This record gives sequence, C-alpha cells and structure tokens, in this order.
Amino acid sequence: MKCKTVETFLSKDLDGLLSSMEKNSLEEHLRGCSSCKKKRDEYVFIAETLGSEDFPEAKPYFWERLQPRLKESRKYAFWSEWKQWSLRAVPVSIVFVAVLALGLMLFLPQPADELSQTGDLLLNNPPLPETVILLEAETGENKSIQLIFMAMEEKPDLRRYIP
Amino acid sequence: MEETRLIEQSKQGDEEAFAILVKNYKTKVFNLAYSFTRNRETADDLTQEVFIKVYYALEKFRFKSKFGTWLYRIAVNHIKDHLRKHGKERHISIDALSREPSLSENEIQKKERVQETVDRKKLLYHALRSLPEKHQIILTLRDIQGHSYEDIAGILKLSPGTVDSRLHRARKMLRKKIAPFFSQEGDENEM
Repeated sequence: MKCKTVETFLSKDLDGLLSSMEKNSLEEHLRGCSSCKKKRDEYVFIAETLGSEDFPEAKPYFWERLQPRLKESRKYAFWSEWKQWSLRAVPVSIVFVAVLALGLMLFLPQPADELSQTGDLLLNNPPLPETVILLEAETGENKSIQLIFMAMEEKPDLRRYIP
Repeated sequence: MEETRLIEQSKQGDEEAFAILVKNYKTKVFNLAYSFTRNRETADDLTQEVFIKVYYALEKFRFKSKFGTWLYRIAVNHIKDHLRKHGKERHISIDALSREPSLSENEIQKKERVQETVDRKKLLYHALRSLPEKHQIILTLRDIQGHSYEDIAGILKLSPGTVDSRLHRARKMLRKKIAPFFSQEGDENEM
C-alpha cells in the first residue's frame, strides 16, 4: 500500500467502512511508516474530539418564547406574501399589457376610409368606360396622355374657335 | 401521537400539535446550530427562527422525505445564511498560522503563546471554522452530529458518492490544518 492511498483508508476506517482485508493491509503499512502513523493519530484525535462534544442545554421555556414570535410573524406573513406577489406581478402585468396592445394593433379591423363622391364614383360606378381604362393605366404619364386624347375626341366643335 | 398526524394537524393550524413537534426536535436543531456557532444565545435564536420557518413551510411538506431530514435541510440552510452574514469574523488567525508553520523566532514564540492559551480542542474547532462552508457542514453533520451517509445525502440533496468524497476531502483539509500544531506538541513531549 502506498502512503498516498493510506489517507483515504484512514478516513474510511473512522466510519468502519474498510473490509477486514483492507484493514489488515492498512495496519501492516502503519507498522512500517511513522509518517502515516502520525496521520492516523491526527485522524483519531479529530474523530474523538468532534464526536465527544458536550452540548449545552437549550435555554428554558423554548415554546413559551417561540409562541409570541410565531403570532408576531403571522401578522406580517400576509403582508410579506402580498408584497412578494405584487413584486412579481409588476413585470408580468407590463408584459401582458404590451402583448395586448400589440394584438389589438395587429388584429383589430381598421375603420374603412370614407370615400369622397368622386372617388366613390370612380371606384364603384365609373360613369364612362374610358375612366376604367384611365384607372387601369400603369403610369401617370400614360394617364395624362390618354386624358389629352380623350379630351380631344370629345366635343371637338366646342373646343375649336370658330371665327 | 404519531408524527404524521402531528404534521397534518400542524398544517391545519393546530398549535398544540406543532408544540409537540418543536419539543421533539428542538434539542437536535439547537445542537446543530450550536455546532456551527459555538454560542448558546445565537444557537437558541437560530433554533427559534428555524421553527418559525418550518411553521410557515409546513404546508409545502409532502411527505416525500422524512420530516426530520426536511427539517434539518431547512435548519442547515438557515444556519448557512447566518454564517454567510456573520461567520467571516470567526476565521481567526489559525489560517495564517497553519499556512506558515514555524521558522522565525518571533513566530515560534507567538505560536507557543497561542498554544499556551488555546488548548488543542479549541484549536481544532477554530480550524474547523476556517474550512470552506461546504466542508464545515459535512464534518458537522457526520463527525459532530453523527448522521449517517444516507441522512446527509438527504439533508444536503447530494448523492451518497459525493457525500463520501466530500467528507474525506474535508477531513484531510482539517487534518492538514492541525498537523503543524500536532507535530510541535509531539516534539515537546519527546523532549
């Protein structure tokens, strides 16, 4: 047995955890090793001293002294519990309000914009088929050109100056 | 009265039942607190605080472990908190002394004076208090209180393997701390 492993054996020996074979080999090592023998003395001293501690008696009237403290603490128990819950509730309620606001923004149906008379006319009841073409025109430039041509086609006699 | 019944009645607010539980366990909790603090007043105060905590925590006790183990867990955690707040000033000069054994004449004289005034038992307790918290706790539970490995595993919520290795490490650390003082006494005795 090596000196390095002896220390674990010495500690285990205090708890009676060594087999008879392990104990024999430990004793054999200790007979020839003064440094490990000294370690054993130290372990025995530790175990005997700590194991034989004398405890003083607890102070008298323990329950009689405890009872008013229990009653006193009961008064504060409700408030401290409430305080604990309210402290937890603050961040939770902030998150809840934020989620609710986000949900309302995303899912609430938006009120339809009221159309002006012209818009309504153009979108729902186009008075002339030409306006449909105009509305479907891709660019603003096209729209303007088409408008000019349409204007020219309509009532040409009214637009020309007749001396 | 059976313990389970006492616990059930205490849960429903029966103070008499709780008083019996307190009577059954107060010495054990007091001894545990005293092992850590080595002060009767403080140990008594801590014991009362532990039972107040137990009273309010009783409704959470679901009989998954022994009542004693559960109560000890609350007590150890409460004492641990106390040690964290007040324990540091107790780690006296023993640490410094054990780090530098002997050498200068001044130091030898100082050591001799320490050994004259402080006996080996006190020295051992000082050394114990200077260990890291987890090692102090396991040594107190096993070597002072005499709890089994299984009980300690339950109280500290550790595996039995961890209890085993931590205990051996703690004992080794404690032995190393007292070794310089031991050898000096041995030398004196030999002379």
